[in-house]
Amino acid sequence: MSVQLSRTATWSGIETAAAYGPGDAAGLDYARDLGDPGQYPYTRGSYSQMYRSRMWTLRNIVGYGSPEDTREGIDTALAMGSAGINVVLDTLTQEAIDPDHPALWADAGQEGCSLPTVHALEVLLRGIDVTQTDVAWHSTMMIYPMVVALATRQGRDVSKLQGSHMPDHLQLRLGGWGEGIVPAALGHRTTVDCLEYSVKHSPRWALGCPQAYDMRERGLSAAGEIAVGMAIIELTFQDLIARGLHVDQIAPSMAWVSAADIDLFEEVAKFRALRRIWARTMKERFNSQDPRSQRLRVACHTSGRALVYPQPLNNLCRATMQTLAAILGGVQSVETCTYDEPVCIPTEEARELAIRTQQILAHEIGVARTADPLGGSYYIESLTHRVEADALAMKAKIEQIGLVKAIEDGTLESWMDAYNYDIERELDRQQRIKVGINKFVPGKTTPPRRFTFDPARMQSHLQRFKEHKAGRDRAALAPRIDALYRVARRRENSHQAMIDALVADATIGEVWGTVRAANDLPYDPFRTVQSPFTYTSP
Amino acid sequence: MAHGKIRCLLGMLGTDVHSKGIRTLAQLLRDAGVEVIYLGEHNSAEGFVNAIIAEDADVAGLSFSSATYVHYTRGLLEKMRAAGVGDVPVMLGGLIHAEDEPTLREMGVRGIFGPGTDLRQILRFLAEVTGKPLAQGAAHGPG
Amino acid sequence: MQSPGDAAAEAVLRGDLRAASRLISRIESGDDSVCAALQLLYAKGGAASVIGITGPPGAGKSTLTDQLIARYRAQGLRIAVLAVDPSSVRTGGAILGDRLRMGRHNTDSGVFIRSMAARGQLGGLSAATGDALVVLDALRFDRILVETVGVGQGEIDIVTHADTVIIVQTPLGGDTVQAMKAGLLETGDVWVVNKVDAPAADRTVTALRESLEFRCRGLGPQQWRPPIVKTQAVRGEGIETLWESVEAHRIHLLAHPEERETQRRQRTRVLLIERIAEALRGRYRTVREGNEPFERMLDEVLARHSDPRTAVARWLRQQE
Repeated sequence: MSVQLSRTATWSGIETAAAYGPGDAAGLDYARDLGDPGQYPYTRGSYSQMYRSRMWTLRNIVGYGSPEDTREGIDTALAMGSAGINVVLDTLTQEAIDPDHPALWADAGQEGCSLPTVHALEVLLRGIDVTQTDVAWHSTMMIYPMVVALATRQGRDVSKLQGSHMPDHLQLRLGGWGEGIVPAALGHRTTVDCLEYSVKHSPRWALGCPQAYDMRERGLSAAGEIAVGMAIIELTFQDLIARGLHVDQIAPSMAWVSAADIDLFEEVAKFRALRRIWARTMKERFNSQDPRSQRLRVACHTSGRALVYPQPLNNLCRATMQTLAAILGGVQSVETCTYDEPVCIPTEEARELAIRTQQILAHEIGVARTADPLGGSYYIESLTHRVEADALAMKAKIEQIGLVKAIEDGTLESWMDAYNYDIERELDRQQRIKVGINKFVPGKTTPPRRFTFDPARMQSHLQRFKEHKAGRDRAALAPRIDALYRVARRRENSHQAMIDALVADATIGEVWGTVRAANDLPYDPFRTVQSPFTYTSP
Repeated sequence: MAHGKIRCLLGMLGTDVHSKGIRTLAQLLRDAGVEVIYLGEHNSAEGFVNAIIAEDADVAGLSFSSATYVHYTRGLLEKMRAAGVGDVPVMLGGLIHAEDEPTLREMGVRGIFGPGTDLRQILRFLAEVTGKPLAQGAAHGPG
Repeated sequence: MQSPGDAAAEAVLRGDLRAASRLISRIESGDDSVCAALQLLYAKGGAASVIGITGPPGAGKSTLTDQLIARYRAQGLRIAVLAVDPSSVRTGGAILGDRLRMGRHNTDSGVFIRSMAARGQLGGLSAATGDALVVLDALRFDRILVETVGVGQGEIDIVTHADTVIIVQTPLGGDTVQAMKAGLLETGDVWVVNKVDAPAADRTVTALRESLEFRCRGLGPQQWRPPIVKTQAVRGEGIETLWESVEAHRIHLLAHPEERETQRRQRTRVLLIERIAEALRGRYRTVREGNEPFERMLDEVLARHSDPRTAVARWLRQQE
């Protein structure tokens, strides 16, 4: 059986020549366009020693059910060899909605951990000192104020806070959250508020922005990831500068949250082009003087979208290649998708295999022993250049409309829909082959075992939540909520006020609902729950 | 065969945000001659039912990426019956696990299109339950 | 024994939304048996104010409609919406996504939203729209909002159906007022410039104001002068003024019954002519192969024994 080439273009659609040679890299100036690893413009890597001095962080995403359930998952992952923990929160927590919502309570604990209060966070992190241990939060809204509130309650030094989250709200808005849950203008302003607060109060806290992983999943090419991500960054930095900050106060705390899609060479080229664009933007546009601002750190999650449902064991191969692409691309942390990702929440077995994949790549395959091993390849340099050009062109188009406007009026979403639609058409015409989907379809496929967890702890968590809410000191809470309303109404940075309210036992729904109300939005995006508070105008 | 266009409602319930699938499906159904009424994300069962009535939907399609689809589907079907539109066929798509199919069918779900579904299967289903025509050649899939 | 037409009409008059919705579907699919019901419903109609909202794609019509619905609901008025989108010419299908922007009203029993595909009509409006409005009118909604894309070159036009026409523009089309086609300036009762936070907004407003002033030169003191309303629909800015202008126009019509009657007579005249033309077009759209006189005419024209104009004129005379 011979293997025939079904496609000569990259997965994003860039055509490829049969062979590349010196002529394709002719215009390349090593010092100007590449630099050594660890040298401006950091195309070849952000650090000179790369993985020799620091291995990429092996992260494993954990999160389901009650705080106790997730804690169990965290302890298991650590025992298996995971170096870093990435906690995912359930959709209710992510949307800043309380788990006792009359219409949506069934979603609590699904797809992630339910964390509606600082008290719940305390349970999850029992025995963990957030100024000593780095916990990464795969979430945007409310999680940072929650962690700061926890540290405050525990009397810890917030300036030593460790960890990270993903404060990119515009990405949520594009990812199907809609204007109802994340209004573009309020979302963007909240991102700016969060960055401003964090760099001033918790300089060790890493800010994963843009959150380009979900944007890729939603429907963007490799170049598109750079284009939209950089548009978000530039607008955000512009606004922070207007508030009196310098880029060198912000950028060193940031990491680009990326995806590693299935096209090996294109992803490598993308990471390289991204670093070059980032470095040049920081230096030339924002006048950065600090190499720590110019050298981009990338936190990578292999693309779940690239994995398929039929014959799921094939996903082990896919995820391996994607992880390889990320490492060859020089990222700083990698999360490898589990092979059962398309079906369910990862089973323990699948999680272990994902960790082993990375360990095999590191120790047996030898991919980490030298920086930017594909650098100098005629093809890779040519492709890097091409991805960069496409990205800058698309970014210019976005900025012509205006990023927030392009989001509000649906333009960006329609580009993403068109991208997905074109892929479907190509799949149908076999111009794009996905093994098991439109070719080499298995006769029968047994679905992987489902991940299930005992709902008992979730029930008691919800019960405790309701009791806690009923038993709070409302006299202490009410003025904090009102103060938050007034700060938000004056369009000031509301983070301190949010933290103060959370310390006083406000729930995330109450805090964010109050911010929404202060912005003339319904307290509950689903318009079911009314605010239990009366607010006074500033 | 009945006349007119197939009017198919597509939307999502609850806190789910993964609308990429139904957005793409909407475009593909349009290509097959279907009038897709797109409700998007974050609908309540009540809102969905009102839309079924006002739009005189021939079919209602829901997409789920989280595990709570049994709960939400049950709620929707109950409300549909209470509002007098229990006869409108309902189809589900997304991360529907094979183990749940018997339960869903028993509830009254007519079409289940989990991972690995071919568009042609959905089109054949639509033509069958509505008795209305697709665009010419559509049943063979987009060209 | 009650006829089906009577039964349908009676259900609608009772306020049965499903019956009304099904009737609209039958209207859309060209089912002629709807005539009996329409006859009865039309006789009972005339109460609702019909407000048309038109403009180029991307102008923000759906968001404005959503905001207007909210404003009217705050008054306790019952609102129906017809949202018309184009059909794919190639496949006949459509994605009807306008109601997405009005999603918050899905659970409000005082709001009825129906999406319609234009199904081949070029004028931005479905041929079935007029009849659908008859049904909605009979349901006794206080206001019926009809949202449609652009006033196109086609004949069937929102003007023939609406008491008040809102035309929405945005600054993003440059200095020139979009779609300044002949006749467009004459038709708008309220002009909206949406997305006024865009840089070019003032230029757009100025250009529009100049064009409208020119149009209004010949107007008498008692006649309606269309205002320009600036809005940022997503943020809810300018909606109150828009609502006020629409209601002011409605009141103006009530206060000037002769102007209103003249307008109504003219509109209905145009509507009837268009419906005749549409009916004739429908009749001849699929002339079967084997239709002898038609085939003969076709051969004549192909052989250049007759030019198309003369041939058709002769053929029409023969049909009468």
